[in-house]
Amino acid sequence: MKVLLVCMYHPELVRGGSQQIAYETFEGLKNIEGVEPFLLASADHNTPAMFKSGARITGFDGRENESLFLSQGYDYVWQKCPSIHLAQAYKEFLERLRPDVVHFHHYMTYGIDYLTLTRKVLPDAKIVFTAHEFLSICALSGHMRRTDGSLCDRASAVRCHQCIPSLPPEHYFMRELWMKTHLATVDVFTTPSRFMVSHYANWGLDPAKFVHVTNGMQANTKAIETLQGKRNRFGFFGQMVDVKGLHVLLQAVGLLRAQGFTDFTVEVNGDNIAFASPECRAEIEAFVVAEEALPADARNVVFNGSYHHDQLRARMARVDWVVVPSIWWEVFCLVISEAWSFGRPVIASNVGGPAERVTEGKDGLLFELGDARALADTMRRACTEEGLWKNLAQGITKPASREEMVQGFMQIYTGKVLAAT
Amino acid sequence: MSNGSPRTPADPAPAALSAALPIEAGFNEELYLRLNPDVLVAVAGGSFRSGREHFERFGRAEGRPVALPAHVVPDRVMVTAEAGRIAEKPRAPGANVDHIKISPSGGIYVAGWVNDTQDQLVSVDLYFSGWSISFSAANLARVRRPDAEEAVGLLSPHHCGYWGFLYAARRLPANVCNAVVRLKSGVEMPSVVMVEGVEDDDLRSVALCGLSQAAYTGNHYFAAVQSIDAAIGTQLLAFNQMLTRRAANAPYVEYFGCANASYKASIIVCLFGKTEYMYVQQAMFARQAGIGDYEFIYVCNSPDTAEALLREARLSGLMYGLDVTIILLNANAGFAAANNLAAKHARSGRLVFVNPDVFPRDADWAAKHSAIVAGQPAEQTALFGAPLFYDDSSLMHGGMYFELDTAPSFTQGQHQETAILRVEHYGKGAPPDTVEYLRPRPVPAVTGAFISTAREWFETLGGFTEDYIFGHYEDADLSLKSLKAGRPAWLHDATLWHLEGKGSHRQPQHEGGSIVNRWLFTKLWKGLVEAEVLGPAPLHPAFGVSK
Repeated sequence: MKVLLVCMYHPELVRGGSQQIAYETFEGLKNIEGVEPFLLASADHNTPAMFKSGARITGFDGRENESLFLSQGYDYVWQKCPSIHLAQAYKEFLERLRPDVVHFHHYMTYGIDYLTLTRKVLPDAKIVFTAHEFLSICALSGHMRRTDGSLCDRASAVRCHQCIPSLPPEHYFMRELWMKTHLATVDVFTTPSRFMVSHYANWGLDPAKFVHVTNGMQANTKAIETLQGKRNRFGFFGQMVDVKGLHVLLQAVGLLRAQGFTDFTVEVNGDNIAFASPECRAEIEAFVVAEEALPADARNVVFNGSYHHDQLRARMARVDWVVVPSIWWEVFCLVISEAWSFGRPVIASNVGGPAERVTEGKDGLLFELGDARALADTMRRACTEEGLWKNLAQGITKPASREEMVQGFMQIYTGKVLAAT
Repeated sequence: MSNGSPRTPADPAPAALSAALPIEAGFNEELYLRLNPDVLVAVAGGSFRSGREHFERFGRAEGRPVALPAHVVPDRVMVTAEAGRIAEKPRAPGANVDHIKISPSGGIYVAGWVNDTQDQLVSVDLYFSGWSISFSAANLARVRRPDAEEAVGLLSPHHCGYWGFLYAARRLPANVCNAVVRLKSGVEMPSVVMVEGVEDDDLRSVALCGLSQAAYTGNHYFAAVQSIDAAIGTQLLAFNQMLTRRAANAPYVEYFGCANASYKASIIVCLFGKTEYMYVQQAMFARQAGIGDYEFIYVCNSPDTAEALLREARLSGLMYGLDVTIILLNANAGFAAANNLAAKHARSGRLVFVNPDVFPRDADWAAKHSAIVAGQPAEQTALFGAPLFYDDSSLMHGGMYFELDTAPSFTQGQHQETAILRVEHYGKGAPPDTVEYLRPRPVPAVTGAFISTAREWFETLGGFTEDYIFGHYEDADLSLKSLKAGRPAWLHDATLWHLEGKGSHRQPQHEGGSIVNRWLFTKLWKGLVEAEVLGPAPLHPAFGVSK
């Protein structure tokens, strides 16, 4: 069985959850007998060095079965790629490869209409689509978070227009029809969290076509030695973009300092601040500047920059708690899995994926989404409550492994599980 | 000063006054200027060196007063001169020619203002090297010019502004113009105006923008319609016809997809400005069962979008594989001419005119439409529309009917009445299941957003009337032509979405075109509509079953 995995960005070019999961799946499928996996990952203007004159789909760094789709001129309004040459190249790529399964982990940088093209070229192939956010529903980056900061649980022409008023309600009506037209070609949808299904069902997709397949990751084989003593070291892991809520964490730090509580540290591990909004970026960068102006012994926050997966163990070793202050639904949150794999309890926002995964008081702590004061209170409790860390660390269950995830997908590829039926 | 041209000290006196006359003994300069304030203004403005000079040259002959009346009765008007003999000079230079624009094909546009509150405008005369033209006041459109009103100190709104348009249909050399604004009193206000050369398309836009964006006293729309009724409307139509013919001449045609020898219908879509809906529309129709029986013809009125449209068409062919013909026009030929041209390229006996912002509502739309054409009596499918729905699910269109709007206008004490036809949609905004608007029935007209018509019948009717500018009212016109020829438009159950007005960019000149079109539509159809097709339940026997 040939399985083609299609993802937005190669994870080694641009880090991100969906491409990481696609790559984990690609790696995991290599170990399944009778399965030949292929990866088609995109690159765009963010990595101009990957482009070769006149080429549309190339190999990647000499790796077997890995290809790069060189996206250009992408239309983010309609989520489509205007280039006939790219579409033609993709068509020929499919015709050459003739996969039995095409598993999309994203369509951005390709186009939602590539689902239709895939069906046209491969009428008998199984098309699987894993939703890593709500981009089909929400034109505002797919986060279903409204511009007033509230979470959105119901898209509509008027509500979407309120978030992006530059386009009339009719556009969003049309966008919905357009998206659904192409999504109709998908055989099975998967989501890493169960709550996502209700969002898509409310939007009008058939919930019977959805299967929950949890995200998995390569099992951690080297446990971290657990230190004794204070549990006052917090870590942030992830992209420094608005929805990840780093600014909420930094605000909480400010509140704790204002209370005179300074016996803690926060280590920030992440990058991609270029994708943050100007306001969010300015807030974070101003904090960095102010923090670095303090004497070393007065600093609470350390910015470590980006990290490779191989560095994760070392970064995790420096913290007791992992904070997930996301201000959107955070559909799965791979960082929770990473934290748990190293025995670190999580302090997370109380909605979406984190709320589905973290059980308050058992394996982590939850706080009100976006509420810096609630986070500050939770952090102070985490630092000061005797035995809390130990109890929570003991309550952690091992996160799903890559193999479990791959088996979940294999059930779908082979037709053993066809959605809810 | 007498009736006739304004005079300056250099002008000769009228012949009858040329003989030297003795100056009245005891002529009081100060009193003369007090009793003749217009002379005071003229002296102050340098037209005369003194009141005495004026008196010698004109005042005596006009019977101008030089002394106070012998008996002054308080609180009564005291007449100091014989009525009608004195022609007061306008107190300020009360006119200007702001713009003269001439296009290569002989379109002439003039605009300016005149304070004719006291002295009626007669004409605006333009003298060029080798030719001249006089725009009579009756044929000029009159509009408000608040800036001029303020400049001349008018306290109430007045149509000080004027503009005229004439299509000479010949090349007219012109760089500079001697322009003369003539008033009824004989006053002439000359000026030298530099001519602006503009392209034909741009001149049409200038005139139509002027029409739609001008300020008027009273109801804006009625005043605008009234302003072009005498002559400008006809001139604009003639000019537009020339532009339409030119735009539709020598189109670029390209076919995409695999041409099917036999189609049940040709879906024709006229694009203007926006091309993005073509690709989206193709995606929507491609889902339809039986869509292989249809070909698509996109005719584009925006040459600036040609590259993008062709690119999208190629991509669309790859993605959806529908049979598409692209027709590119070299300029905006308008809705009617573009669709008529596309109809000539159709390869089926059924023409389906669809707006780019119209999309099938039901998954079986194509099959349903084909079944209607095949299964219903020919007279009911010669020309038919369908219920259209807004994005919010409410009804946008359930057929159209006509109303007549009338409005009086009052200009300088005159009462004038303007009547113009209005097109209304049955059930606009009604809940989607309002059966009375959805049931199949003959209707006075159907919207051009979706019209299905037998090709032969369409050609018998002469297609869409191409006199209309850009778009609007051709659909109602076609429906009434069909009714007049014996087959009323029908409404059938083949529902679609219509994101009304989102398929193109509407600009001020399109509003101006719409005003001209409504004026034209009224001229063409007011008689029939008033007699038999007025209101939602018209008297015409064709609609007996609809009541």
